[in-house]
Amino acid sequence: MIRCDPSRTSVTQYRAAILLAIGYLLAGLVSVSQSGCSTHAKRIAQPRNLFYDGQLQACRESLEKLSKTNRHDRDVVNLDLAVVDLLSGQAKQAETRLKDVRDRFDHLEQDSFAEKTVSMWTDDQVRSYSGEDYEKILLRVFLSLSNLMQDGMDAESYTLQIQDKHEQLADQFESSSGKKKDEYTPLPLGFYMRGMLREATHHDYDDASRNYAIASKLLPNSEPLQWDLARVQSGVHSQPGHGVVYVFAMVGRGPYKVEVAEHPTSAALLIADQIISAVGPYKLPPTIAPIKIPDIVVPPTDVDAVGVQINAQRIGPTSSLANIEQLAVSTFQANRNSIMARAVARRVIKKATIVAAKGSMDKGGLTAIGMDLAGIAWEASEAADTRCWGLLPRDIQVLRVEVPTGDHQLQLSPLSGNRPIGPSQQTSVRVVDGQNTYVICWFPDARSVSQIMCSNR
Amino acid sequence: MHRREWLTCFSMLTAVGFAGCRGYQYGHVIKPGAENLVGSHEAGAEVFDPLVDEAVAKFLARQQVSPEDCKIGPDGFPAKKTICFIGIENKSAEDIGDYKDKLYNQIDSKILESQSFTPISRRMVDAALHETRMRPDALMLPDNMQLFTAVLQRSGAPVDYFLYATLTSGTTKRNSSTQRDYELTLELTNVHTGAYDKLSSEVRKGYHKSAMGKIWNYNPLKR
Repeated sequence: MIRCDPSRTSVTQYRAAILLAIGYLLAGLVSVSQSGCSTHAKRIAQPRNLFYDGQLQACRESLEKLSKTNRHDRDVVNLDLAVVDLLSGQAKQAETRLKDVRDRFDHLEQDSFAEKTVSMWTDDQVRSYSGEDYEKILLRVFLSLSNLMQDGMDAESYTLQIQDKHEQLADQFESSSGKKKDEYTPLPLGFYMRGMLREATHHDYDDASRNYAIASKLLPNSEPLQWDLARVQSGVHSQPGHGVVYVFAMVGRGPYKVEVAEHPTSAALLIADQIISAVGPYKLPPTIAPIKIPDIVVPPTDVDAVGVQINAQRIGPTSSLANIEQLAVSTFQANRNSIMARAVARRVIKKATIVAAKGSMDKGGLTAIGMDLAGIAWEASEAADTRCWGLLPRDIQVLRVEVPTGDHQLQLSPLSGNRPIGPSQQTSVRVVDGQNTYVICWFPDARSVSQIMCSNR
Repeated sequence: MHRREWLTCFSMLTAVGFAGCRGYQYGHVIKPGAENLVGSHEAGAEVFDPLVDEAVAKFLARQQVSPEDCKIGPDGFPAKKTICFIGIENKSAEDIGDYKDKLYNQIDSKILESQSFTPISRRMVDAALHETRMRPDALMLPDNMQLFTAVLQRSGAPVDYFLYATLTSGTTKRNSSTQRDYELTLELTNVHTGAYDKLSSEVRKGYHKSAMGKIWNYNPLKR
């Protein structure tokens, strides 16, 4: 028998209104979270497969569709699209896309407390992505390469921007880690490209020497860098009647992020405790069930380097200047505890919200079950932020060769342990007296379709 | 009680959310005569502008020659000396980045404006370096100099002088403060006689980790 107390009618109505409001709030949050439940890693899987199958047009269409449908993925998808553009001969379009993303990342580097707050109620995917440090440098490297594939007018400016970014990242490293600025490890490729372009002026050998010296210090075991350094210190760009061919080889399939469930580390719990203590009167529970965080995956590859032949004469293998796999893993490891801590804090805040909401209403019956179910759905809808520049190679390698002016047949083949393991690709290059000619190629593995682009300007 | 806590938490999060947002970027045109920014980590306009002004002024003052020293041109008037400005060599502790080409143009333009010399176009100098495949620092070797000047002469630009500019620096450290002395040297060599002249200008600059560094280290009452 249900008793109705007229004196409590207004209180019951008030509670019903609160319940309704919270129900709407939770439903809204769950629906927002559900829309982002699918991770970037899952969404990008199909375009990535198309890319490695050599179906660049289908890959572009798939990425463009993704860019239109998912606002938070747009910048990283644009980076992938730029790679597709560059390798399909649309260097200008690639440069435009990269410039847009560069400016967006520069803007998004500023903190947004609004996004941070919303991410505590949903997940990290609602935060704007401003790129990992190595992505910010590689973005400018690809800008230089895209420009060199055209007229090369702005390539020097882009290499200067690489140096500016290095400086900025080193300053950030100093302020965030408390370590000295000199301990920051920049990407050698940026210095190499600056040196390469300064050497090609035929009068700024001192600049070239300075940049090659930095690159050589970062890669002390790289023999070709030692040759470059020796050449600019006492030699010349090329002999009269000769030009230079630079082969930029993208080797292997690059790293990407996937979602995993892991137990929080003690370091992450410590950071999470600081976060939730700052937000409200909450404490960490003694145990935390596994949380969803991103992890780095590096696909296995069978290609070590690219063998270069000119007019059927063996020149040698390309040499590594940017180990992206290593960069991605080390960058992720440095941020892993912070990512984990945010996930823990988010879980505590969500649980506390549900408990507080339940406490303000009837403590039993269907309402409590409904609130518990909504809470479970809310937590389950959370997904890890797996956004990253997915169409990067595992390694960027370079080979420099001086050849007589005129047209030459360039043959490139994937190597493993210095032995060819797949079909080679051929292209014709035109070498101009005293100038550089640039070739970009991508060998993901022995089976995938490889691409070659040549500046021939 | 729980409701109050929950609402407090929600309002705190919301307040934090509205407290900060990303800013825009703005630009403005700096009026002529306005002071330059002073670089906090390395040299910039505040160092290079006075270095170039002083070095070129000294150079032009010393190289002013009387009409009897000049060759007489085909039009009967004294012919100006022809200078080939080879380039700037950066031997300082800092990478000057995009300033290198700017310094070249600044020096080249000032020499051209002085009407005392006839500088050779940089494009011709670059073309000659490209053709001969010589390093700028190897041009003083007699054979190289002869070949290089012959190429320029063939292009209609006979050379009287080579001009080199060199940027150097010296660093003094004291705890968290650093003093860096920047020096721009202009070196003029007569390609006919081998005689040379050298001029330099200097700007000193202090770098400090704190705002009090300048007062603490450069206080006139301290010494």
